Amino acid sequence: MKGLNSFMGQETIAQLKKINWFDGLPDDMLAVLSQKAYKRMFKKDDILFHKGDEGASLFVILSGRVKIVTQDVDNNEVILNKVGTGEIIGEMALLDYEPRSAGVVALEKTAALELSRKDFMEIMKAQPDLALSLIRNLSSRLRHNTSYIEKITEMSRRVARGDYSFIGETQPAKKKKGKISKEDKIVQLQAEFYAMVQGVRKREEEWEKQVQKLTLQIDESKRKREFEEITSSDFYANIKEQAKKIRDKRKDKK
Amino acid sequence: MGQIISIHSFRGGTGKSNVTANLAAQVALVDKRVGVVDTDIQSPGIHVLFGLDETHTGNTLNDFLHGKCTIREVAFPVGDNSRQHVQLVGKDLWLFPSSIRGREISQILREGFDINLLNRGLQTLMSEFDLDYLFIDTHPGLNEETLLSIAISDLLIVILRPDNQDFQGTAVTVDIARSLDVPNLQLMVNKAVPGYDYEDLKEQIEGAYQAPLTGILPLNFELADNASKDLFTLSNPEHAWSQELRTVTEAILSVDGGAK
Repeated sequence: MKGLNSFMGQETIAQLKKINWFDGLPDDMLAVLSQKAYKRMFKKDDILFHKGDEGASLFVILSGRVKIVTQDVDNNEVILNKVGTGEIIGEMALLDYEPRSAGVVALEKTAALELSRKDFMEIMKAQPDLALSLIRNLSSRLRHNTSYIEKITEMSRRVARGDYSFIGETQPAKKKKGKISKEDKIVQLQAEFYAMVQGVRKREEEWEKQVQKLTLQIDESKRKREFEEITSSDFYANIKEQAKKIRDKRKDKK
Repeated sequence: MGQIISIHSFRGGTGKSNVTANLAAQVALVDKRVGVVDTDIQSPGIHVLFGLDETHTGNTLNDFLHGKCTIREVAFPVGDNSRQHVQLVGKDLWLFPSSIRGREISQILREGFDINLLNRGLQTLMSEFDLDYLFIDTHPGLNEETLLSIAISDLLIVILRPDNQDFQGTAVTVDIARSLDVPNLQLMVNKAVPGYDYEDLKEQIEGAYQAPLTGILPLNFELADNASKDLFTLSNPEHAWSQELRTVTEAILSVDGGAK
């Protein structure tokens, strides 16, 4: 299984391009990386890795579908997400050495490309240009993310003031082809934030509408008191008597 | 016999005189014989809407109540004198105005008047003018002449604005009307400001007072500064206020026992 023939080469490069870090790296450098990638096959219910394992490699799903799982306090399985073809799992582990935060299990027959940290690091040492490109790429992504954070910070301040005027001027974050992949969590955050602000404003508007519903209130004891004040007079009794006579008289005429 | 309809509101400023005058005009337009009495002796106001001003030298309700003339002599035939509204020419519509002379108003407030005389006068004009409808523009609140007007009414229309003071006052008026066995009770909202849920309010009002709400008339700035002081439904028939007033008119005409 080790190594890749030339037939696999191009396909692997295309898959590696989907990884944020490798985005924009020249094809020849990706070709070097792809030399070291393994293609692995999993049957349904095969485990790619467990939660808590040392994060020693990344996986690119070439076909099939996997679930990302953790356990609740009673050790029952909780599915965090399901991912499929073209999606990347565990890429941060190559650099940050943190244990796996969740486990991954194949939901069906699945093909994945695995790049181990060991191989990845060897390439970095041997190819300083590749390492630099990667650092440059990461730096640019950091800058890009910072600009989103600033944007979201400013929006938060405006929402706090009750100023929703940016809705309509601001386009919800769109995935830019090539530059930002669907894996981009900061873009997702902005989109979620935007949706949240819209939700908050809608609720606020509905609340305001509710304020404009008039509530008919009657003080019943005051009502009774005023009624008794008026009806307790002799004049009232007299007029009630007269009115009855008039009505009876007019009824007779009809 | 025709119907006596009292138009009442618990507080002043509901646009009662304007509503009464326009309702009377609309009913006269469908060839009913209509009288309008202004029993708001303290602050008469309906006469101007029918083109009557201080130059009017005819008899008033005050003269009748002081025994100076008969009720027939108080009648001002609007149909013969309508310069402002050609639609009313030839219609059977009479106004029985109160005096607008300050001296006469203070005199009647000071000396009072015989409420039975007013009652007899109203019954007389119903029969002498063979009226289908007699509209009484009452004084706000529940003083003696207002209680009399309500007591002898076949239909009481209470005008309220959409606010809590009017909701409270209307509750007392409704209780009084029921206690006096007024056969028909209708409610209408005037001066409804935009931006509220009036469908919901209608349900609340009809539930609370157990009487139909026959119209919700919008706050009408054009009417408020109606410089010509005319009958708004005749000069502005397409206005939303006029259209809603006509639905109130239809509710009046549909009350059983009125038309002969």
